[in-house]
Amino acid sequence: MTQVTSAAPLPAFQTAALSKTYGDGPTAVHALRDVDLKIAEGELIVLLGPSGSGKSTLLNILGGLDRASSGEVRFHDASLVAMNDRALTHFRRRHVGFIFQFYNLIPSLTARENVDLVREIAEDPLSAEEALDLVGLADRMDHFPAQLSGGEQQRVAVARAIAKRPAVLLCDEPTGALDLKTGVRVLEALVEINKRYRSTTLIVTHNADVARLGERVIHFADGRIRVIETNAARVPPSELKW
Amino acid sequence: MVKARFHPLDRKLLRDVWRMRIHAAAVALVLGCGLSVYIMSVGMRASLERTRADYYAAYQMMDLAADLVRAPDRVAADLQRIPDVAAIETRIGGYALLDAPQIVEPASARLVSLPLDGRPRINDLAMVRGRWPDPAKAEEAVVSEAFANALGLEIGARLAATIHGRRHILTIVGIANAPEFVFVSAPGELFPQPERFGVIWMGRTALARAFDMSGTFNEAIFRLAPGADSRRVSAAIDEALRAYGSSGAYGRDRMMSDRFLSEEMKQLTTMAIFLPAFFLLIAAFLVNIALGRVIATERSNIGLLKAFGYADIAVAWHYAKSALLFAAAGAMLASIAGIILGRAVADIYRDYYHFPSLDFSADAATFAGAWAAAICAVSIGAIFSVWRAVRLAPAEALAPPRPANYARASGVSSALAVYLDAKSRIILRRIQRFPRRAATTVIGIALAMALLVVSGAFPAVMTQLLNVHFSVANRQDVTLSFAAPREIAVMHAVTRLPGVIYAEPFRADDVILRHGRHEVREAVFGLPFNARLSRLIGRYGAAVEPPPAGIALARALAERLEASPGDAIEIEQVSGRRIEARIRVSSIVDPMVGSSAYMNIDDLGRLFREPDRISGAHLALDPARYGAFNAVIKETPALAGASFLRQAEQSMRRTFDEGVGVMNYLYIAFAAIMAGGVAFSAARVTMAEQERDLATLRVLGFSRGEVSYVLVGELFVLALLAVPLGCALGTLLGIWLMRLFQTDMYSFSFTFDPGGYAFAIAFTLACVAAAAFVVRLGIDRLDMVGVLKARD
Ligand SMILES: Nc1ncnc2c1ncn2[C@@H]1O[C@H](COP(=O)(O)OP(=O)(O)O)[C@@H](O)[C@H]1O
Ligand SMILES: [Mg+2]
Repeated sequence: MTQVTSAAPLPAFQTAALSKTYGDGPTAVHALRDVDLKIAEGELIVLLGPSGSGKSTLLNILGGLDRASSGEVRFHDASLVAMNDRALTHFRRRHVGFIFQFYNLIPSLTARENVDLVREIAEDPLSAEEALDLVGLADRMDHFPAQLSGGEQQRVAVARAIAKRPAVLLCDEPTGALDLKTGVRVLEALVEINKRYRSTTLIVTHNADVARLGERVIHFADGRIRVIETNAARVPPSELKW
Repeated sequence: MVKARFHPLDRKLLRDVWRMRIHAAAVALVLGCGLSVYIMSVGMRASLERTRADYYAAYQMMDLAADLVRAPDRVAADLQRIPDVAAIETRIGGYALLDAPQIVEPASARLVSLPLDGRPRINDLAMVRGRWPDPAKAEEAVVSEAFANALGLEIGARLAATIHGRRHILTIVGIANAPEFVFVSAPGELFPQPERFGVIWMGRTALARAFDMSGTFNEAIFRLAPGADSRRVSAAIDEALRAYGSSGAYGRDRMMSDRFLSEEMKQLTTMAIFLPAFFLLIAAFLVNIALGRVIATERSNIGLLKAFGYADIAVAWHYAKSALLFAAAGAMLASIAGIILGRAVADIYRDYYHFPSLDFSADAATFAGAWAAAICAVSIGAIFSVWRAVRLAPAEALAPPRPANYARASGVSSALAVYLDAKSRIILRRIQRFPRRAATTVIGIALAMALLVVSGAFPAVMTQLLNVHFSVANRQDVTLSFAAPREIAVMHAVTRLPGVIYAEPFRADDVILRHGRHEVREAVFGLPFNARLSRLIGRYGAAVEPPPAGIALARALAERLEASPGDAIEIEQVSGRRIEARIRVSSIVDPMVGSSAYMNIDDLGRLFREPDRISGAHLALDPARYGAFNAVIKETPALAGASFLRQAEQSMRRTFDEGVGVMNYLYIAFAAIMAGGVAFSAARVTMAEQERDLATLRVLGFSRGEVSYVLVGELFVLALLAVPLGCALGTLLGIWLMRLFQTDMYSFSFTFDPGGYAFAIAFTLACVAAAAFVVRLGIDRLDMVGVLKARD
């Protein structure tokens, strides 16, 4: 296969010597060390690595939730490093859809209303029905999070993330709290959306099996990219097992 | 080493308390405010009680007194023989009009004779400066301290006094106080006006000569043996003095000075109950809010403790201890503040009443009461939260909490939610889902607001009382009281006094009113129809005519007699011919000051078979001729007194401003602390509970302003719900409180004052806004990344 990096004329994300340090002195933790990375628009990438290797830190910096200690991060032609809080908020609002291990739904809003929440601040969003239909939850739209199973809650979170048709979908261990069957359904939704809307998608996992559905797999260890592997034979989520 | 002394749980306790320090400070402050007032009031009451008792004991305060027309000195021996009379003193008493260069309007004084042989055995004087008068020198006099201070009179000063129609020049040789004159006001006046009225003590011989009463007396005062039955003694005294025009022996309950002191103590008791109770309630709310929050976030700790085998009771005790620490901090604060407050108030009382000494001290029981109350209040606040901790099963406590189930809250709000954006829906659902918690906040804010409404209403109530009393009921400039009743024809002479624009006669009789088993001694006033100056007040502060027939009773008097319109009551003259009659109650009236009975002047004259007799006149004066008027009446012997209404109004306003005004600032300050404390606690708790959701909103791309809306919006919805409740509560509380403060002297009635309500609303909302603003700063510090990592 061709190198995706060279094929993509304008990368969605580009980092150079990206580092992140928590604390200082002898107790400082180097969560990221000199990460150089290019991610093409529409790519589906899996970040794989052991716990504590810096995957979430990278994802949070790419999503504008956290700031780099040094180095550069660009989204298209804009530098995230140069943005103030207001601009970062705007960046998240315009372009980023997040999905987390613990769903982070608003418990006082129904599935539909959780989706409506982001639709209110999006420019040309999907309808809540469309978004929930995509994740197979059209019939549970008026349920509150407490009335849904973990997998269903995570699919609402996916619907919430995709409703604004984000340029970027950042998923931090989206199946971490789910069993195989429900995990597969969530991943299916993610792959489907990546295909349909060409959202640049990053999926963090410490599960090697999940990595088989990415176009590229970035292996992470100790805050560094160890190797980037291009996936010759992508596997649909339904064939995964863990 | 040091660490080892602390049980690990106790270290956790200290950490918990530190985490709740804002709440702890609010609770301690609220308890401190409320209970310091409790300690001050209870301690002050006891101190006053003790001071009065000591004063009365040291200076032989009389137990009974009888006023009479005149009796020969030998009657004293008969009185002395009455069983249970420990001591008797006879005196000559009366009134004098005074004049001195510094006096513009004529002042007057109560005259009291001193015994021929040494100091009084009853109602002794506490000499402040100077010496006792020389019995051989008729012009030597002692004056009361307040009067001397008000007029700047010093030892050696001279004073012109018109006594019994003759002018005397007195020389001041002493300045003193006396237990019977702790509170001094001119007859018919309710407030001390020390610059206008004082007490003058003179030698018996001098006063006897001045009043043409040699060899006789007109006042008898008594001290009773311990355990004496004062009713029986009174009856015996009345029997002995019947022939000498006595108006009946009376006890301390009818001595103006003592009655006023008792009234003051009663109000201290009211204050000791009302304000602290309110604050304890708020403290309980705050504890409930704070502890409820801590326990909610401590689920897993509670589970661990239980899993390790701690008994429920140990877990409960662990959390209860932090509440008790709050209570201790509050009670400590209250104890210190109570003593400081008490000392300050004691200074005020000492100066005002001229007690020889008055030291504030609260006894151990008072402090113990305050501590117990503090502990009770926080315990009530803590019990529900602690109970929740006790009930939590260890397994349940260790599992991560499922998201709160809002399905139950969807009913009503779903219909409403259609019209709202998602952020507003969050606010609405939270309130609906946790109605008890929302209600706690609403009630807390409403209580604080109620206190503001009440304190805001006080000045309005006072203003209303003064306005009605001085602008509607009593529009005269001066009221002249004759030394003895006069024929109505005297009005021609009165009208011709310099500067008199209009004059209106009145009649006043001291009477005993009886209805059923109730008996009240009061004054009945006879007023003319179409009165323009002194008028009766009806239900809503408007003037009404005197009854065409029958008698009108002041509301407080009617209540004491349990008499309603239509009832027949008995009326008996206390002096003069002692005529008794039955008369029908025609109506109830609402004078602002005093609680007398009223008839039309012709009916009253006929009733007592003295038609066309009057006791005095109300006058409207031309201000330009004020000086000329005063110059004449200063030398008019037929006058017993002249009361100047503008001055009375001023002194009343001054007293209110000093007393009620200062108290009111304290109330407002306390209400502010309360409103602030509640608002701040509520805001902190809302923030803590919502932290995760708010961070999620930030992650999703909501701006700080939008996220603040969710936080501040909830607080403001609750605050707005609290507004009508607070107004209603404040009104009820105000009405109730006015009833508590109601005395025979003043009829306070709650006055609806839009300004007061507006202030209460604005102030409360401002407190909430300030609290919301401070807490909103927390949104800037929200940890977006942290919140995504794990649940609670
Ligand atoms: N807020 C923080 N403060 C200090 N250290 C942190 C913080 N967040 C993450 N770390 C540390 O940074 C490293 C990388 O963390 P993370 O990116 O969460 O790893 P992963 O997602 O791969 O498990 C870990 O060692 C972690 O302990
Ligand atoms: Mg991680």
